[in-house]
Amino acid sequence: MISIFSVLVGGLISLMIMFNGSLANSLNNYTSNVIIHSVGLVALIFILIFNREQIKFKKNIPVYFYSGGAIGVFTVLFTNISFASLGITIPLALGLLGQSLASILIDHLGLMGGKVVKFQRKKCIGLLFILVGIVVMIAF
Amino acid sequence: MFYIAIVLSILSGVTIVLSRMFNASLAKEIGLIQSTFFNFAVGWLFSVLFLIFSNEFTHLSFNTLVSAPIWAYFGGAVGVVVVSLSSYLSYKIPVFYLTLLLFIGQLFAGILIDFATLNQLSIGKVIGGIFIFIGLSYNLMQDYKKELDPSALISTEKL
Repeated sequence: MISIFSVLVGGLISLMIMFNGSLANSLNNYTSNVIIHSVGLVALIFILIFNREQIKFKKNIPVYFYSGGAIGVFTVLFTNISFASLGITIPLALGLLGQSLASILIDHLGLMGGKVVKFQRKKCIGLLFILVGIVVMIAF
Repeated sequence: MFYIAIVLSILSGVTIVLSRMFNASLAKEIGLIQSTFFNFAVGWLFSVLFLIFSNEFTHLSFNTLVSAPIWAYFGGAVGVVVVSLSSYLSYKIPVFYLTLLLFIGQLFAGILIDFATLNQLSIGKVIGGIFIFIGLSYNLMQDYKKELDPSALISTEKL
């Protein structure tokens, strides 16, 4: 049951990309980015009110902890630009490749305070499969 | 445009990993809803700055603002739902399965939507998707083997 639910949430992600991508096609990239974040912010404020939670700004944590949202702006921008010419499936495949490569590099070098997890050569097999999948998707 | 889109798609994977790392550290400190709020608030601020310094700002008009179909405006809200549901799910099932199940859902919904919007139903996307699924699960398994206890291995085989 929880598996089916997870698959549905995955479907929701594709739906979101279509919504955002269509908005960007009509309103252009930077304007739509503001709308997307505004609507999300309003949705969160509703959730906060519903949960009777208040915003707490903790001062004793490093400022860069708050930078996830700033990086997310690029994610939305890149996804919307790709949607216009490649749709959803191919950027999804390419994005997974990017995610794998980034995680491997971050783990290998122990960046951002994480512990060092050296690159296992076996992972080249998985990366190769992902690469073949991407080529098949684009070529056929 | 085709090659730019390919490079940007790969880069979007990189930015997803980076923002997820920061958001996870923040969530540990202040909780999930709070951290998601700051995620969108900081994102909102930066998206506004981007807009102001772009050439779109001077051409901004009410008519363009309302030119999209009504459903297209709800992407941000769907994003909030996705963030909350996937973090709820990550407590329920191992991240290993969650990553794969989310991928399957994304892939099939993506194929359907591509069919509806681009009018192309390619068997290549299904076959390519199967290859990616194999590669993804193989590499996730390598990570999983490192941390895990023997009981988790048994459950991996149930997949």
